[in-house]
Amino acid sequence: MFHCDVVDIKEISLDKAQKFIESHKCGASLFFIGTVRDHNNEKEVTGITYDSHDAMVKKSFEEIYNEAIKKLDLQHPVAFVEHAKGYVPLGGISIIIAVACKHRRQVYDFSRFIIEEIKKRTPIWKKEHYTGEDAQWLDGEKLEIKK
Amino acid sequence: MKIKVELFGVCRELSDQDHLNLELSDNSEIKDLREQMVQIVKKKFPENNNYLEMVKKSAFSVKDEIVEDAYQLQNNDSISIIPPIGGG
Repeated sequence: MFHCDVVDIKEISLDKAQKFIESHKCGASLFFIGTVRDHNNEKEVTGITYDSHDAMVKKSFEEIYNEAIKKLDLQHPVAFVEHAKGYVPLGGISIIIAVACKHRRQVYDFSRFIIEEIKKRTPIWKKEHYTGEDAQWLDGEKLEIKK
Repeated sequence: MKIKVELFGVCRELSDQDHLNLELSDNSEIKDLREQMVQIVKKKFPENNNYLEMVKKSAFSVKDEIVEDAYQLQNNDSISIIPPIGGG
């Protein structure tokens, strides 16, 4: 079972993730939360604006979920992935990845696989805001055509 | 021919709107569109090598799929420019 979305900061909710995961009665679950940290590139970060190609992001999340099931040979996989869009202040939640499976070892692998693949191939961008009204779009991974 | 380019990430700095309407010659390919985008950045941000590099490294997508540089553009195509990504 899988749920994914790109949502406004006001809508991103650990409670929602927990309800989704709990409704599937798996033996092991794991919650990963990404938040905006206070420093990057030796600058004081005050917040991040996330931009997203929503349709490609959701497609990418679904592909990652399906690949994880095959590569990790997951049993009874359940995943909830939501990414924030728009301005997220310091300490705010940018991403929630909640996973559940039959056994504990698989949930660590499952969660790690999802976040690492998102970093490599999901079209989301960050504009960091710093103290003093300075802001900068961050460089990242170049997307390639799938072979 | 007319091409609509939907802007994302750093490329949003190129317009107050979320897209650019460009005019390209017939039989243009994605590589020609990339070159036009490079020229737009050079004109709008002549001192900003960071923006220039990000546009040079950008991918382009059609109907939510990344396409090759040799992709043949059609009149009234809607293309997304996908700069280097980094969410999470």
